[in-house]
Amino acid sequence: MRHGTMDELLALRAGEGSAWARDHVGSCAACQAELDALYQRIARLRALPPRRPARDRWPALRATLRAEQRGRRVRWSVWSVAAAAGITAFIALRPVWSNRLDAAELTRVKQQSAALEAELGRYDPDARVTSGRSAVLAAALEDRIAVIDGALEWSRAAQAPRPGDLIKLWQQRVDLMQRLVSVRVSRAAYEGL
Amino acid sequence: MTISLAVPDVLVARARSGDLDALEALYRAFETPVYTLALRMLRSPEDAEDVLQETFLEVMKSIRGYRGEGHLWGWVRQIASSKALMRLRRDRVRHTEELDEESAAGKPGAGAVPERIDLERAFEQLSATSRAVVWLHDVEGYTHEEIAKQLGKTVSFSKSQLARAHVRLRRLLEAEGATG
Repeated sequence: MRHGTMDELLALRAGEGSAWARDHVGSCAACQAELDALYQRIARLRALPPRRPARDRWPALRATLRAEQRGRRVRWSVWSVAAAAGITAFIALRPVWSNRLDAAELTRVKQQSAALEAELGRYDPDARVTSGRSAVLAAALEDRIAVIDGALEWSRAAQAPRPGDLIKLWQQRVDLMQRLVSVRVSRAAYEGL
Repeated sequence: MTISLAVPDVLVARARSGDLDALEALYRAFETPVYTLALRMLRSPEDAEDVLQETFLEVMKSIRGYRGEGHLWGWVRQIASSKALMRLRRDRVRHTEELDEESAAGKPGAGAVPERIDLERAFEQLSATSRAVVWLHDVEGYTHEEIAKQLGKTVSFSKSQLARAHVRLRRLLEAEGATG
């Protein structure tokens, strides 16, 4: 007669045994004893006494942890110092960067103004038939541009004109020029030129 | 091994903030079960101590990410068993396991056992993999699926290791005339 294997007994213990194994163990004293022994063995394994390490590992762990915590603090300190240095440098160098940015912006608006001048030159007002309203608007814009040009001339004569003031004047001039171009170009388009 | 110690949430919260006293309290709470688990699986006290230290370094590093799901011991035990199994996979331990098997089977009068052998000593004579599977399954309550995943093996492997181990334990104990 075949007896249950250890696999089958373990499966029975886990509640997964086959129908054959259940029936067999129920009627076979040897297999029943084997299953009981298996239960006892596992119970005894679970009852084995706990073991304690011969050495206390906590001091070494604590030292490691402290070193890591110190390391984190140092890293934070380094970052803090670096961040503070960065902010200080930014504040200290801001005027320099600011001047460079102002110069670039001044150049840009001057170029924009020159481009608009060139564009206006393509539309000779004397050769165009314009409405009275457009002519008045264009004249008003030219007057205001003239005022701006006067202010720019005055600024150039000043000993140390502030870049911010010059940029504002040039930006106003560009704005007026764009409107003037718009008046003349629109009119030209209307006339089909 | 039944762990009845319940760790208060406030202690875990303090440990998560890096409080060394709280971390020591956790260490003291789980030192013995972690060491016992590692020792049963690895047999070597030195290896078990190393696993104990590695486990708590991992616990202390990862406890900020511990979400508090389940018993803390379950989480710590998972780390400990992983560390122990990693050590098992190392060549040195693997080599020792092979020697264990060969020495047990190849000595004159193979199957002969010391006059006084108890379950603990019989268990120590199992191969490293068998010890790990028996301990994780029968004592710690891991399923074969969990063990197979941790070992990187199949469920069938885990089941066959367990069956082989029990057959061997039975023979060792029968030879000595001990019960169990």
